[in-house]
Amino acid sequence: MPKLGAGEDVWRRFAGTRINFISENTAPTAAIAANLAPFEKLTGIKVNIVNLELSALVQRVALDMASGDAQYQVIYADPYQVLAPYSKGLADLREFIGKDGYPELEGGLDDFIETQLKAAGQFAAEEPVYALPYDCPTMIWQYRADLFEKYREPMEQDLGFDPTPGAERTWDEYYEIARWFNENVNEVAYGTGQQAKQHDSLMCDFSNLLWSYGGDYFENGQELGLLGVEEPGACQLGSDEAVAAATLYDKLVKVAHPASATWDWDGVGAALRAGEIAMCPNWHEFAASNETSLPGKVDYAPLPRGPARSSDHYGGCGIGIADNAKGAVRGAAWLFVNWATSPEVQLSNLKSKAGGGTPTRTSVYDRAEVKEAEQRPTELPNMLTGPAVRTAWQPDNIGLRPKIPMWNACDTAIFTGLSKMIAGQDDAESTMADIAERIDGIVERGWVA
Amino acid sequence: MSTAVRAASTSPPTSKVPEPSRSRFRLTFPGALMAPGISILALLSIIPFLTLIVMSFSRVRLLGGLQLDWVGLDNWTRVLQDMDMWASWWRTAIYLVATLGLEMLLGVGIALLLHRVVRGRGLLLSLVLLPMFVAPVIVGLLGRYLTDSTFGLYSWALGKLGYEGDILGGSASALTAVILMDVWEWTPLIAMITLAGLTGVSPSVLEAASLDGAGYWQTLRHVVFPSITGILLVAFLIRAMDAVRYYDIITVTTNGGPADATKTVPIRLFETAFRFFDLGYAAAIGLMMLVVTILISKGFVAVLQRKV
Repeated sequence: MPKLGAGEDVWRRFAGTRINFISENTAPTAAIAANLAPFEKLTGIKVNIVNLELSALVQRVALDMASGDAQYQVIYADPYQVLAPYSKGLADLREFIGKDGYPELEGGLDDFIETQLKAAGQFAAEEPVYALPYDCPTMIWQYRADLFEKYREPMEQDLGFDPTPGAERTWDEYYEIARWFNENVNEVAYGTGQQAKQHDSLMCDFSNLLWSYGGDYFENGQELGLLGVEEPGACQLGSDEAVAAATLYDKLVKVAHPASATWDWDGVGAALRAGEIAMCPNWHEFAASNETSLPGKVDYAPLPRGPARSSDHYGGCGIGIADNAKGAVRGAAWLFVNWATSPEVQLSNLKSKAGGGTPTRTSVYDRAEVKEAEQRPTELPNMLTGPAVRTAWQPDNIGLRPKIPMWNACDTAIFTGLSKMIAGQDDAESTMADIAERIDGIVERGWVA
Repeated sequence: MSTAVRAASTSPPTSKVPEPSRSRFRLTFPGALMAPGISILALLSIIPFLTLIVMSFSRVRLLGGLQLDWVGLDNWTRVLQDMDMWASWWRTAIYLVATLGLEMLLGVGIALLLHRVVRGRGLLLSLVLLPMFVAPVIVGLLGRYLTDSTFGLYSWALGKLGYEGDILGGSASALTAVILMDVWEWTPLIAMITLAGLTGVSPSVLEAASLDGAGYWQTLRHVVFPSITGILLVAFLIRAMDAVRYYDIITVTTNGGPADATKTVPIRLFETAFRFFDLGYAAAIGLMMLVVTILISKGFVAVLQRKV
């Protein structure tokens, strides 16, 4: 590790180093990749960004960690697919934060949204920080405001409640609204679209209902989602709440666009933009592309509530450093992580035409220009979701899937079982029981990293 | 490798008995010539294969370098008792029979038609062969777009005929769709191989059949097909081995769904190895696939040997 010379700029300490950043092909990384020059000018460090689909990223990270020689020094650490199973392969960032020889972490850890820092940055213990929150996609209710406005009165008359989307709506009302659009509106083919492909997206979509009904995958689900554990205990999907949520979800998919069974989040996003559906639950970072295709026509609200609460699935990730990275590249990797998650870069990402994403720091949301961007006309279209996601990230509303090392296998059992239920092969009760049994088997086998 | 190592007993007689340790392992000239090739083969194939066998009896750790913890027959017991695995084998069998059946039927039919064409056969053959040169992953993407229920041409056409569902969203229709995508891509291969066989049928035999008063179908049944059975079996063997390993189109279109309707063994293998990182269990699945492929090929070779 190069020593810091007297009077030397801490940002220039690792000048001349080259590092590799492996990331999912997300909006913030697209924005950063398009704007690396300021970092390279500031530090003299060259950054090579490898953009991959998430499952390909997980494979490469796992094999890179197995090799013992960190080819990828900066890692996009998905909390469920990278952080939980491979936390031992990530450096504890406290090694750098507030330490001599390294630049300050602007605003400190407290500037990150608390729930996001825990969910995306920590695993199984309160102290170590393995990643800094980098992106924060969150599922919210995305709807055609123009159609809701046009049909609000007849819809209210027919349905007997105000259909305006918001956290005070229930999932039952969401279902009724979807049906009403199917039967009464010609501008769109169907009322709702769901991301019900046999894919991770199906678990994400269903989880919103599960949590809002008071169900969860394991006991202490929220706590388990924030910090995570290695052994989560028995699966709770056999509960009455889970069965009720699954019953409604099955019903909802039956009135949704028939292609829902083939759509993941991209599919449902494209359908909304193409005018195929009037509303859907989807990740808030689709707002920018919605605004490009349907300017001024799409609005956002927290997801409906169930008997227990309104729950909005959080899917944010952090970036961390491979523990196998040694010497100058380790320090250089920290400078990049520090820079890429800094308030200025998050603001610049928000403005970027190449990508976007939304900030993970409270100080960015507090800026006047960001607050103003929550209203149209706006230059920062993702900020149109600001009020909805701020509500979604409240501890009472945030929906967190279990952060456990064997999550990938559990996730597959969940979306496969749900896919069978949607295909009519099983009812909600036996689906939940079957998934619970499979998850118990997976947990019992344990995880070997 | 008898050519690589000359045993002491086959050495020319000498007055002195050579030292066993030196003569037994001395490379002959042909052996020395083959040694680099065998070493590369060992490096690329045999060592990974042996590693795979060891992995199938182990639990594999990745962090901090590859480590194998011996678990005995656990992975093998699991793979034999896993009902999901057997369901995947069943789907693979359906897929194998359906693709091979359709491809052979259509491929032979197209070859027979092309064989009768005198003018422009080259051009027609080039057009027929085109799908074969498209990468399977592109075929999958094309299939996905064509069957998309919002803008897909096939969905639109089926919609006009009264089909209301989503092609890749229904269990039966999704399996049918991926089978047809494979058939579209690989029927030309069968057609090409069959056409090569047909051009090899002796004109004098065909002429003799004609003089004997045999009609077209009689000639096909009693002269042409017996003459090209060998080449058809080779085509069958190539496609059968491919079909067991079929992965690309399914992963791009349905990724095993909906409701596991297209989760064949290769998709399950990939998922186990590179999604769950359960590499010991994946090794057992991979070896099981290898055994099945070898059995299929041995079956075809046995039939072929009886025919030749």
